[in-house]
Amino acid sequence: MSARRPGDEPVSTSPDVALVEQARAGSTAAFARLVERHQQAVRAFLRRACGDWALADDLAQETFLAAWSRIGRLEAGASVRAWLCGIGYNKHLTAIRSRTRARTREAAWEEERPSQASAMSDERMTLETALKSLPDDQRACVALCLAADFSHAEAAEALGLPLGTVKSHVTRGRARLLEVLGESR
Amino acid sequence: MTDAHLKALFAQDEPPARDPAFSAAVMEAVARRRFVLDVAWLSGAALIGGLLLWALWPVLHPLLAQTGDQFGPVAACVTLALVAVMLVDGRVTATAR
Repeated sequence: MSARRPGDEPVSTSPDVALVEQARAGSTAAFARLVERHQQAVRAFLRRACGDWALADDLAQETFLAAWSRIGRLEAGASVRAWLCGIGYNKHLTAIRSRTRARTREAAWEEERPSQASAMSDERMTLETALKSLPDDQRACVALCLAADFSHAEAAEALGLPLGTVKSHVTRGRARLLEVLGESR
Repeated sequence: MTDAHLKALFAQDEPPARDPAFSAAVMEAVARRRFVLDVAWLSGAALIGGLLLWALWPVLHPLLAQTGDQFGPVAACVTLALVAVMLVDGRVTATAR
């Protein structure tokens, strides 16, 4: 877990700066590199935020598609990872609001996905259940700050929440998860 | 139970660092979106061009009738050249993307 992942490095020295510039100029190859670099972070966040892996991957795809359309609006020096997670979170909230959302997934794509339940240990299942019991905002804060090493400020930027709210969400969420996992032992 | 243990549990649902199938699906969706936008732009431009031509036709028609014999071949050559330039430019742009 100590390996540095894309998006962990300082924004000013990140290869993202050049890639965003090229993508803004219309380079599909540069955008493809951005997708490659950040798909893991965005999908992991959405899996934790919505709890449904297939839905999370659908939302992640929509997130990148929206990012492609809006890349001109990304502020210079902003964290691409936080920006993408912010778009993903809004997509997730929209999906929650519109319960009638119809998901159509290609059979081949679906077959390739590992079975969510079978891949989980008992402890992981307990964590998943505890995570689902948290309010959406709190869950997103926990997913970013505890699981993905986002700073509180970066999470606040991504989720559009005040810094103090993020801090209290993380504290309460952590306490709740540790409590549930402690009980299950 | 520590934060490190919590983090290790979270790491179990981490997607792979490289997932060519996912990246390809995203880029396919991007290409589809780009195509739809291009078609929409071209359709809009063609529609506006057609409407302009229709509106200006009463003015253009007498002018073309007068100058058509003299400038017809030149206009045809210029049009062909413009089409060729646009085609080549489109190919170059598509390759650069």
